[in-house]
Amino acid sequence: MKFWKWMQALALSLIVVMLAAACGNSGASGETGGGSAVTITLLNSKGEIQSQLEEAAKAFKGDNPDITLEIIPVPAGQSPFEKASALYASGNPATITMLDTGDVEKFKDRVLDLSGEKWMADAVDRSTALTTFDGKNYAFPLAIEGYGFIYNKAVVDQAVGGTFDPAAINTTAALEELFKKIEASGKAPLIVSPMDWSLGAHYLPLAYAGQSADPAAVAQFVKDLKAGKIELTSNSVYNGLLDTFDLMAKYNIDKASPLSGTYERGPEVLGKGEVGIWFQGNWAWPQISGFDTASGQYGFLPVPVSNNADDFGNTQISSAVSKRLVLDKEKNTAEQQTAAKKFLEWMVYSDKGQDFLVNKANIIPAFKNITLEAQDPLAKSITDYIAEGKTQDSMSTLPADHWAKIGASMQKYLAGEADRSVLTKEIQEYWKSVK
Amino acid sequence: MKQSNSTVAWSKFAVLFVCLLLFVFPFLLLLVNSFKENKAITSSPLSLPESFGMTNYSDAFGKMDYISAFTNSIMITVLSVLLISLLAAMTAHYFVRHQTKFNQYTFFLMVAAMIIPFQAIMIPLVKIYGSIGFLDSKWALIYMYIGFGSPLAVFIYHGFVKSIPAELEEAALIDGCTRTQTFFRIVFPVLTPTTVTIAILNVLWIWNDFLLPSLVLIAPDERTLPLSTFYFFGTYTVDYGPLMAGLMLTILPVLIVYLFAQKYIIQGVMQGSIK
Amino acid sequence: MITEKGLWNRLRLRLLFTGPTLFAFLAVMIVPFLYGIYLTFTNWDGISTTSSFVGVQNYFSVFQDTVFWKSFLLTLKYVFITVVLINAVAFLLAYVLTSGLKGQSLFRAGFFIPNLVGGIVLGFVWQFIFSNVFVFLGKELSIPLFSGSWLADPDKAFWAMIIVTVWQYAGYMMVIYVAGLMNVPKDILEAASIDGANLTTKLRKMVLPLMVPSFIVCIFLSLQRGFMVYDLNISLTKGGPFKSTEMVSMHVYEKAFLSRDYGVGQAEAFVLFLLVAIITIAQVYFSKKLEVEA
Repeated sequence: MKFWKWMQALALSLIVVMLAAACGNSGASGETGGGSAVTITLLNSKGEIQSQLEEAAKAFKGDNPDITLEIIPVPAGQSPFEKASALYASGNPATITMLDTGDVEKFKDRVLDLSGEKWMADAVDRSTALTTFDGKNYAFPLAIEGYGFIYNKAVVDQAVGGTFDPAAINTTAALEELFKKIEASGKAPLIVSPMDWSLGAHYLPLAYAGQSADPAAVAQFVKDLKAGKIELTSNSVYNGLLDTFDLMAKYNIDKASPLSGTYERGPEVLGKGEVGIWFQGNWAWPQISGFDTASGQYGFLPVPVSNNADDFGNTQISSAVSKRLVLDKEKNTAEQQTAAKKFLEWMVYSDKGQDFLVNKANIIPAFKNITLEAQDPLAKSITDYIAEGKTQDSMSTLPADHWAKIGASMQKYLAGEADRSVLTKEIQEYWKSVK
Repeated sequence: MKQSNSTVAWSKFAVLFVCLLLFVFPFLLLLVNSFKENKAITSSPLSLPESFGMTNYSDAFGKMDYISAFTNSIMITVLSVLLISLLAAMTAHYFVRHQTKFNQYTFFLMVAAMIIPFQAIMIPLVKIYGSIGFLDSKWALIYMYIGFGSPLAVFIYHGFVKSIPAELEEAALIDGCTRTQTFFRIVFPVLTPTTVTIAILNVLWIWNDFLLPSLVLIAPDERTLPLSTFYFFGTYTVDYGPLMAGLMLTILPVLIVYLFAQKYIIQGVMQGSIK
Repeated sequence: MITEKGLWNRLRLRLLFTGPTLFAFLAVMIVPFLYGIYLTFTNWDGISTTSSFVGVQNYFSVFQDTVFWKSFLLTLKYVFITVVLINAVAFLLAYVLTSGLKGQSLFRAGFFIPNLVGGIVLGFVWQFIFSNVFVFLGKELSIPLFSGSWLADPDKAFWAMIIVTVWQYAGYMMVIYVAGLMNVPKDILEAASIDGANLTTKLRKMVLPLMVPSFIVCIFLSLQRGFMVYDLNISLTKGGPFKSTEMVSMHVYEKAFLSRDYGVGQAEAFVLFLLVAIITIAQVYFSKKLEVEA
């Protein structure tokens, strides 16, 4: 009989386990509501600033002892959208969720209307336009990011034999001239990093954004692409951009095996001065600085799309607000929502918050009242272009799978496995398949 | 004759040893690079570290909240594996000894369910359990592991229970044992080698599992080791040094346990062959 | 067959022995799976608060999705090659490592090590090896095979996946084969040796028939893992270069979460489940038949 008793004990303990699970859960959810101490969570999809955000949470707690901010990272291999929707499906959304611009609309029924917040008045022009629906803005613009050709000043100075003038590179021909000079100085002109996100989300979209300086005309262009009304074969901006790409492929340090490179190789060869130029964005600074041999002297060049210096895009750098914060209104309590709003304000208006954005996280803030000067040369270069009004809005509301699908087509083109007509066909086919 | 035998044995040994080196090469690489700086890792991945500094390790240890994550992983793994082995052995035994149509179909359903892609049930799973508030706890995770782990365990036990002669059990029943007693006195001990195999396979799966805990466990103090390790992965880049150290810290406990369990398998099998 | 007396006793025994397992199994796998099938008849996108019933429209999309079928064929090829290689390597290792070699338990432990780590981590480590270490070696020692990263070439990237898969699972299957080989009674083999049977005859006539259950398990497991490959795919090749190594699981996943076509993605997952079910059930059925004959 001993064994039968033993089994009963086991069955009983299993039930206890189940009960404990149910109780443990209700206990935990009861905790968050009561008391003056509030715990809020932030789902971070900008992995490179995870530790900076954690520090910011500590600094924020210093100013607001009642509020504990926990940072949840989006793990590698998961998209921010997927993690956020899984959290919503599980009934446990983060208080603050960091989304890509294009995803905000999907969440608009579940997040707070932020139109009445104080920082709205200080936000940079048009920075909330893409997250405003029916006159209500649903998201906090966290970071402006820009991209183009990053140059290593030491290398290009040596190539031109004096002080390099970035403003002189305003046509495809001028760019090739520069490539030739770098090559003549014994260095490789540039490295093309073959990641699909770089080619599909950053490089090729320049062809859409470069169509016109007017955002409405660009939006119309994308709409026409979807409708199949655009013939890219005869589009001058698109062809000009690919002409430049052909040049990049020709002078690429990894020409022998163009798809071999990893992201990590880019900052290494640029920082060490083995190449003069790398197509990438200002987020790359922490990695470049690890290899820096040009005493921190780097800057951006626009990607030229023609041989006429006055054409739109030849002197403009592509930039836009890339990450947005939204506040959940479904499962988080009023106290948690208030605390989250406090955190947003803290970033914009407190010294410590601004210090976190600009100095710690190397973010270019989208707020006019923040006057701290960027510490890193890439953010500074982008800020200068913005100040001069020489910017082109990056495409930030492309379909979610654009980077992966078009990135794959661009890789094929880069590797010489497909010619321009195949690439063009694939891009047009893709757009027609978008719902 | 003796001479050639030992030559064959030695060459066999040498070939195996080379194979083994190839097998563990990635781990040696991980170990070597876990002591190096980010820069040295990308530019000369094969070189030995200049010094065996523990900065990467202490960095990883602190950032991972190692003690807490380790405790969580241990609790979840041990409880899940114990329950899976015991419950699955009982179910498999029942299925083998009571081959009714219903049991055969149920067994078939379990085997078929093993090929359901996890991605296909991921969102419905969190949707259902989220709506009844049964998420964000170790217990919920353990319960799910029993559900996901039992098909394979029942399948493996099923094959081995069949090899136990039914006469053995009948003898025990005639001696006055109940069904339950028979299972625990005769069947489960005989199945020990299989249990060890199943326990090891499940320990490795659960200890390393990432996707399910990432969906079920939300509070940071509930995190398991793999969840903590993935802290280091950035969107655009990877901080290689501490990451490799973090990976080593995650692997080490399993490695130690495995070496220990390897001995146990042999003992278990030897005892089994004496019976 | 032994039967228990009394309906209540039988029910109690059934509940005790199969109740907890079946409850967890049904509630965790089957119910969500059925709910997932229901979702394939809606146009839910994974997040919105509303969705409407669209009938079998999602299934039409599956049959029109040529990329899905292309990646399914690629997965078939991958599964076939890995199943053969994994089991060949695993059985060979197990056979050698049960022949009474010095330090064989240490060897077993060693070959099993790849299984100590999850797929995402393994993928990360191997990605580092293929794109950094091998390229570094290729340059230092000028080996043309390694001059460019394997992950940059569609064919080589495919073989990189296979190498890592075999490396990862051979040890796992080896353990199952070792367990099986240890159950082969030694006295039979010894008797055979005395009778003058050579190694091949011993293998074919005595060992292999007794090993059929182990083969069924191992082939089934490697089939299942091959079809479900996802972690390794995403972390080693990310489906690249240019989607040439995108296996079917990854395609389904991207359909649902990247293209935000949750209904179609879920429907593809279901179609995939059906196809794989047919293949594996056929495998189990035919090998069980073989077992009975053997």
